[in-house]
Amino acid sequence: MTSRGASASRRLAVALIVLTGFTTAAAQQKNNNLFPYEYTIDDLDNGLRLVTVPTDYPNMVALYIVAQTGSRNEVEPGKSGYAHLFEHIMFRGSENYTPDERDAVLKRAGAETNASTSADRTTYYEIFSKEDLEPVLKLEADRFQRLRYPEPAYKTESLAVLGEYNKNSADPTEKLDEVLHETAFTKHTYAHTTMGYLKDIEDMPNQFNYSLQFYNRFYRPEYTTMILVGDLTRDRTLELTKKYFGGWARGSYVPDIPAEPPQAVARSATIDWPAPTLPWIAVAFKGPAYSDEKKDKAALDLLSPIAFGQNSDLYHRLVLDEQKVDTLIPDFGNHPDPELFTVYARVKNAKDIDDVRERILATFARFTNETVDQAKLDATRSRIRYSFALRLSSSAAIANSLAPYIGLRRTPDTINKLFALYQQVTPQDMRTIASQYFKDGNRTIVTLTSKAARN
Amino acid sequence: MLRELACALLLAALLHAATSAQVASVLQPGTSPLVVFRVVFTTGAAFDPAGKEGLASLTAAMIGQGGSRAMSYQQIVEAMYPMASSVDWQVDKEMTVFSGTTHVENLDRFSALLKDMLLDPGFRPDDFTRLRDDAVNFLKVSLREGNDEELGKEYLYNVIYAGHPYAHHNRGTIGSLQKLTLDDVRDFHRTHYTRANLVIGLAGGYPNGFSQKVESDFEKLPGGTADKKRFDAPRLPAGARIQIVTRDTRSTAISVGFPIDVNRASKDWPALALVASYFGQHRSSNSYLYQRLREVRGLNYGDYAYVEYFPRGMFLFTPDPNLARQQQIFQIWIRPVESQNGVFALRAALYEYDRLIRDGMSREAFEATREFLAKYANILTQTQSARLGYALDSRYYGIGDYNTYIRDALSTLTLDDVNRAIRQHLQTDTMRIVIVTKDGQAFRDAVVKNQPSPIAYNSPKPQALVDEDKVIQAYRISVKPEDVVVVPVERVFE
Repeated sequence: MTSRGASASRRLAVALIVLTGFTTAAAQQKNNNLFPYEYTIDDLDNGLRLVTVPTDYPNMVALYIVAQTGSRNEVEPGKSGYAHLFEHIMFRGSENYTPDERDAVLKRAGAETNASTSADRTTYYEIFSKEDLEPVLKLEADRFQRLRYPEPAYKTESLAVLGEYNKNSADPTEKLDEVLHETAFTKHTYAHTTMGYLKDIEDMPNQFNYSLQFYNRFYRPEYTTMILVGDLTRDRTLELTKKYFGGWARGSYVPDIPAEPPQAVARSATIDWPAPTLPWIAVAFKGPAYSDEKKDKAALDLLSPIAFGQNSDLYHRLVLDEQKVDTLIPDFGNHPDPELFTVYARVKNAKDIDDVRERILATFARFTNETVDQAKLDATRSRIRYSFALRLSSSAAIANSLAPYIGLRRTPDTINKLFALYQQVTPQDMRTIASQYFKDGNRTIVTLTSKAARN
Repeated sequence: MLRELACALLLAALLHAATSAQVASVLQPGTSPLVVFRVVFTTGAAFDPAGKEGLASLTAAMIGQGGSRAMSYQQIVEAMYPMASSVDWQVDKEMTVFSGTTHVENLDRFSALLKDMLLDPGFRPDDFTRLRDDAVNFLKVSLREGNDEELGKEYLYNVIYAGHPYAHHNRGTIGSLQKLTLDDVRDFHRTHYTRANLVIGLAGGYPNGFSQKVESDFEKLPGGTADKKRFDAPRLPAGARIQIVTRDTRSTAISVGFPIDVNRASKDWPALALVASYFGQHRSSNSYLYQRLREVRGLNYGDYAYVEYFPRGMFLFTPDPNLARQQQIFQIWIRPVESQNGVFALRAALYEYDRLIRDGMSREAFEATREFLAKYANILTQTQSARLGYALDSRYYGIGDYNTYIRDALSTLTLDDVNRAIRQHLQTDTMRIVIVTKDGQAFRDAVVKNQPSPIAYNSPKPQALVDEDKVIQAYRISVKPEDVVVVPVERVFE
């Protein structure tokens, strides 16, 4: 039912793109690209893409496989959490490897292996010694093309997902995020978290057939990009990718992800948390989708640390001077569809909740009226540049830094384009764009308190 | 060519653990544009004076997240902002580390700030109030009420080391923190932030002469005497003890452990590290306990075993370095289970642990785990920062380069060595168990009465597993009723 290898074409049309770059330390400093490594992109004619990044870090290889499926793709009611469930099911055996055999191969390779799921993608990775490249690729090819999991194993794994929900459930910010999204979004699938609703998780054991359908839809080459980083050559990675993934059949499913209608009025919600906690406030505005061409997202990326980061006036006052808040964090991720620009604050005394909320709102309003200081904007661009450079500390770290961008645009070059866009944003752009998005009608506020905090 | 050069430099660096007349250092020069600092003081929470628990940690926080004499904390944050750098701090029982990474283009500015923070701290009252509040709220809110797993794991250490200098959480206790003063911080800094306790770690593409300059800067610290106290193993009364922490939670977290007379410097450490990897390699499906509890039964999200302290394990795939300590415990971490399966999960963990002690490891499991660990050392030390951290820990333990040490040890290790180490070091005599659950009394009743704890599954299971479950559901938990105590969460870390 899930086998797709037999009928696939073995002919491969390979498009090779070589981008300039440098690999030595000295050269990196001269390179204006934010992503400084040489890389190649190879497209197989089944739609699978291979990105190869040779590095000077010796012996090790990082394989990241990015599937462009996340909780955003969960369009049917009652079926939240399946992208994440699949992240688990993918470890439950394939046609040529039982889970034990798979574990044995990876144990021999001394590999670290795991996976993660977000709203927009599921990422599988292995980090291992270079001599194990072929057995690891062979193993991965089998589960991506020929996953085989019996229903009892499926049901057991759904309990491990429940266990994951349970271990997260003690943290009030998990609930805060769940309520924030279901309040802010009425149609779009960003309304539910990647973990999914508890009632849907509890129903997962009964949905074996749906799980097969999910795999059949999304575990297809056109949704998949392989990133190979480390002590390797492009010739070898391409040869092995052709050999083991070349027969993978392209799929046809495209999810109909509903667009979120424009929001007319501000929304809010409160959460009565059963255990003692300090109060949390989340103030969110709907923001723009990721783009490496339009300035909207880039302008608000730059504004985020200036307005709400550790170096902001608001942080200075609320956290350092008045000490009313112990955590103030802006969150504005990159997503293919419009998502939330959120500021989270943990308030040290419940009597200050209203004041803190109003101060956060006043800060949003401030940047719709004032232009940012040019020196601060330049410092922020510098911060983004160095922040990215500091992350590239190993082959695995490079692959891990690439994965979210590969999930969005399937090429490392989007990082360089985005960085170039940051250079073009002016203080006036930031004010104009802030005023487009930070409008009352675009806003959702969620407040979480416990009885202990209110007393 | 470049790679060969990098390897040669790395080798040279590993051999370059310098101790100048004034300042000890571990230097790993290389070609990376990133420069890593790890400034270690061999002092920590075990040196907190009685009644001042949390002082070592608060002192480090005042340096890492407070102002210097010349600059307020806000000014330091502003200066670091365009470099995207920061100074992170970590305090364990016997080791305190300040770490940071900067691009070589910003090296002079970053190192000037780091030097200013460490050598000339401001110790301002407003920083003190903020950071003491942070420590109290970390214990009282984040740990006690927001993370059942870390709560159980940390409280297990408190229980095992009761009456020992390791007894309290590294951040202190809620009561002691509220009594600390800024003068206490100044005293601790004066006494323990000395050249005798200092080891400077540097890695990356810093220029010639840079390390000597840093060493010379730190000569400003007072000489002092080294915190070289010997910490003995805790003397625990024989017999298992169970503490059941109650709070409003939907699941049940389980931590099990006991002291071991083995640390990374010990002859049997590689053997026990191999056993822990086989039995419960952190965050890996490649381990026995994970297979039996999660994969076969779906009890929870994961099940692991450790021979070294590994805080924040739910957020990390590999341990942070610079947590070196003389005393360690063997620990089993059972991630939260559905509460109706809590007693079964505890029994299953004890049943599998008893089997490990009784049967030891098979040759096949031994060889597979040995091969895994020899290669896995590369993963543990992938980044410059990790390599530097491991080198500093190796200096502390006196074992030389970690990767060489573990590979050499594994290459000569035999199955007999491992099974002898299991018999010698793993036991059940002083086992301590911490449970975090909602209905502590019901859990206690089930344990002290040794009531059967059958488990129901959502799918058919093989007969062998059904038979094994019958054994596990009635598996005797050998503990006296008076040694099973229910503890309201409000009393933890008080």
